[in-house]
Amino acid sequence: MKNLRMKAARAALDMSQQDLADAVGVSRQTVHAIEKGDYNPTIRLCTAICRVLGKTLDELFWEG
Amino acid sequence: MDHYHAGIALGLAIGLLAGFLFVAFLFKRKVLDMHFDERQERARGKAFQYGFFTLLISAYAYAVSDMVLGRWCDPMAGVTLCVAAGMCVFAVTCILKDAYLSLREKPRTIMTMFALLSSVNLGFGVLHHIHPGLVENGVLTYRAVNPIIGLATLVILVVYIVNYLLRPREEEEE
Repeated sequence: MKNLRMKAARAALDMSQQDLADAVGVSRQTVHAIEKGDYNPTIRLCTAICRVLGKTLDELFWEG
Repeated sequence: MDHYHAGIALGLAIGLLAGFLFVAFLFKRKVLDMHFDERQERARGKAFQYGFFTLLISAYAYAVSDMVLGRWCDPMAGVTLCVAAGMCVFAVTCILKDAYLSLREKPRTIMTMFALLSSVNLGFGVLHHIHPGLVENGVLTYRAVNPIIGLATLVILVVYIVNYLLRPREEEEE
């Protein structure tokens, strides 16, 4: 399932996939795979992404 | 051990040492790097699994072919064939999963190195083919090691380039 919330949060900060990837220490392809729903990140990476994007885990990753 | 075989063993040892020192130098200069992110490490683990089983299967296939067909290949060339098959499967799987190059490696530098490695080894292969020949009495000799490595690196290089060219452009930034 695509993670459109993460994509929207990134876009709201005017960050490219590469910017976010550099900020959390992964490759751009990994950010792309997460947004596309092809890869389930570990909790460690999820929290790193949330910290950079200024969101909570629930806001970005909880599928309620 | 006669002088001829001692020379071969010494040449191999020096070649391996030179290769090891060159790779160590590249790591020291940060041209090669082993920092992968979690997705890449998972993908590489799967690729390693495929490569390992390819190596096992090709090693047994080589042994069986030697038993059934008789000696058609020098053991050194045979082992190199099996390793090259495993390496190619590992590398191609990694490339298809965007996990071949680490976070700090520069694609252009690495692929230039592959092109050089491939052309040098294929060049040696051509020289060996002209004189004294890769095949002696119907047996593929150890001289085939260079062209086998050259072909393997060429396959990896071509797959990397084709994968890069065929990757949808919109994937770059959505």
